[in-house]
Amino acid sequence: MATTERLTATESTADTILRVRDATVSFEMDRGTARVLNGVDLDVKRREILGVVGESGSGKSMLASAMLDAVEEPGRLTGEIIYYPEEGEPVDVLNLSKAELKRLRWEEISMVFQGALSSFNPTMSVRGHFTETLRAHDADVEAGMERARELLSDLYLDPERVLDSYPHELSGGMSQRALIALSLVLEPNVLVMDEPTAALDLLMQRSILALLSDLQEKYDLTVVFITHDLPLVAGLADRLAVMYAFELVERGPAAELIRDAAHPYTRALLKAVPNLDAPLSTMRSIEGSAPDPVNIPDGCSYASRCPLADDQCLREDPGGYGAGPEHPVSCHHWRRADEAVPFETEVGE
Amino acid sequence: MNYIVKRTAQAVFTVFAVITLSFVIIRLLPGGPADYLRAQLIQRSGGSLTQEQINQRIASQTNIAVDEPLYVQYVDYMASILRGDFGTSVWYSNEPVIAVLGPAIPWTVFLMATSLFIAFVLGVTLGAFMAYREGSGFDVGSTGVSLLTNSVPYYVIALLLLTFLGYRMELFPTGGQYASETTPGLNLEFVLSALHHGALPILSLVLASFGGWALNMRGNSIRVLGEDYLRVARLRGLPERRIALRYVGRNAILPMYTGLLIAIGFMFGGSIILEEIFAYPGVGYYMIQAINARDYPVMMGAFILITVAVTIGVFIADVTYGWIDPRAEGGGTRESY
Repeated sequence: MATTERLTATESTADTILRVRDATVSFEMDRGTARVLNGVDLDVKRREILGVVGESGSGKSMLASAMLDAVEEPGRLTGEIIYYPEEGEPVDVLNLSKAELKRLRWEEISMVFQGALSSFNPTMSVRGHFTETLRAHDADVEAGMERARELLSDLYLDPERVLDSYPHELSGGMSQRALIALSLVLEPNVLVMDEPTAALDLLMQRSILALLSDLQEKYDLTVVFITHDLPLVAGLADRLAVMYAFELVERGPAAELIRDAAHPYTRALLKAVPNLDAPLSTMRSIEGSAPDPVNIPDGCSYASRCPLADDQCLREDPGGYGAGPEHPVSCHHWRRADEAVPFETEVGE
Repeated sequence: MNYIVKRTAQAVFTVFAVITLSFVIIRLLPGGPADYLRAQLIQRSGGSLTQEQINQRIASQTNIAVDEPLYVQYVDYMASILRGDFGTSVWYSNEPVIAVLGPAIPWTVFLMATSLFIAFVLGVTLGAFMAYREGSGFDVGSTGVSLLTNSVPYYVIALLLLTFLGYRMELFPTGGQYASETTPGLNLEFVLSALHHGALPILSLVLASFGGWALNMRGNSIRVLGEDYLRVARLRGLPERRIALRYVGRNAILPMYTGLLIAIGFMFGGSIILEEIFAYPGVGYYMIQAINARDYPVMMGAFILITVAVTIGVFIADVTYGWIDPRAEGGGTRESY
C-alpha cells in the first residue's frame, strides 16, 4: 500500500509502543465481505494519550479490539500489530500462542469497555474479580490486592467498601472507575479505553478524564482513548486520530488538529458538535451517510459527502499527504479544506 | 432479616389458611365428609347407634365434634392438626391417618427427589453443552429430543415403560416398593431391591422432565454467553473452566433455582398418578385409594401434607434466593433488584 511508505516517512517510530499496519477486520456475510476496519495504519507512542475519534459505526471499537487481538468471531483480523516493550524483543501480537496472548492481555495491554456494569459478573463481588484476575495470571494476590486498593483510592473510591460490593450496588461512575482499577491491577503499559465515559453524565465524564490524566502520569501509562466525542478528548489527548468509514482519515497533535484540521470530515465533525462558545447558527450536520462496509467505494470514502469532491476523489483513494511534520491526512484537496469548510468562529478550548 | 420474618409469617399464614379451608370443607359442605360419614354410620349400624354415639365416631375420625358450637369445633380441629393428629382413617380399619400416610412419605420423597435431582443435573449439563455448541448437529438433535420427551406426559411414558420393561420383558417389578423377602434397613439387598422397584417411576419422571430443564438451561446459557462480562473475563485470561462454571453456569442456573424448589414442593402432588400406575404405596397412592374409598380423613391429611410441602418449598426458594443471587438480597429491599 502506497500510503504506508509515506506515513513511515512522516511519523517517527523511535518511541513507538504499539505499531498497527494495514489492520483489517472482515466479516463474511451473505451479501459479501464486510470490512469494518479497512487497512488502518497507526503508531501509538510511549506514554502518550492518543484520542481516536469517529462517529458510530466507523470502526473505532474494532480498532480497539484489534490492538489486543480480541476481535470476536466470526470477524477476521489481518495485518500486523507490533508491541514494543520497554525492554526486550518486539512482540508480534497477531502471531502469539494462546499462553503468550494471555500474558500480553491485561499484563501489557489492558482494556476498558463502555458500560462498566455489564463488564462485571453480576453474581461475584468486586473483590472476586480482582483476585481471580491476579490468580489467573499467577500474580502475588496479596501484593496485587494492595495495588488494587491503591488504585481505587487514586480513583477517589473507598477501597474496602467497593471491594466488598457487588456490581449492582455501585453507581455508574463508581463501577466505571472500579473497572479502570481492575484493568490496571496487573500494571499494564498500555490502556485501551473504548468509550469509557459514554454512559455517564457530563460531570462524571469530566472527573474521570481528570483522574485518567493523573493515573497516566503516576503509572507511566500509554492510553488509547476511543470516543465519538471530539471536544471531550481534545483537552486530554496529546494526539488525535480521526476515523471515518473504517479508515483513519487524519491524525496529528491534538491542538494542531483542533485549530487547523486538514480533512474536510474532521472540520465538518468539529462544526457538528454543540459548543457553548459558538452560536447555534454556525453548527452544521454532515449531509448524507457513511458507506456500507460491504461496498466501500473505490476512491475516497468521504467523497459522496464532501464539498471538495471531484473526479480524482472518486477514482483514487487518497494516500497520506503531510499537512504538517506529524500530521498525515487522507485527502487530495486538504489545502483547500479550510476554505470549503470554514470555521465561522474559533472552535476548541 | 426483617424480610425472613415477614416471609415466615406469610408461609405460616398460608398453611393456616389451608388447614382452615380443609376444616370448612369437612364441616360445612352439604353432602361433605361429615354428612357422608354420618350417613354411612347410620346405614352400617342399621339404626342401632344413638345420635350421640354417631357424633362421637365422627369426632374421632375427623377431629370435629359435631354437637359442639362451631368455634369450639374449629379450635379443637386446629389444635389436633398442630399436634400431628389428622384423625382416623375410615377405610384402613380405623387407624390414625398419620399412621397410614407417615410411612408413605419417605417413599414419595425418595421417588420424587431422586428423579428431580437426576432430571435437573442431566438437563442442566445437556443444556450447557447445547449452548456451547449452538447451531451444531448435536444442538439441533438434542433440542428435538428434549422437545419431544418434554411434550409427552410422564404417565404416558410410565405406562409404556411398565408395559414393555415391566410386563413384556419382565426386567423390572410392576408394583411395590421392595421385594417382600428383604428386610427394610441398611442392607444391600434391601437398598438394591428398593432401587429396582423405584427405577421405572424415576425413569418415567426423568424422561418427561429433563428436556424442559435442558431447553431452559440452553436458552439461559446462550444469553449469558453473549454478555459483555464474559468477553471481559476471557480477555482477563481466566481459565475456561472457571468461565464455564462461575460465569456461564452460575448465571444461567440462577433463574431456574426458583423453578427447582417449586418443583420440589410439587413432587408430592405429582406423585398421585405415578404411584397409582406403579402401585407404589406413597402419599399419592394412598390419596387415590382414599378418594376411591371416600376415606375423607386420609384425603384431607394428604391434601394438607401436599400443601405444606409446596409452601415449604416455595418458602425455602424465597429465603435462600438472596444467598445465591446477590441482586435479590433482602428480597427487593435494595433499590436495584
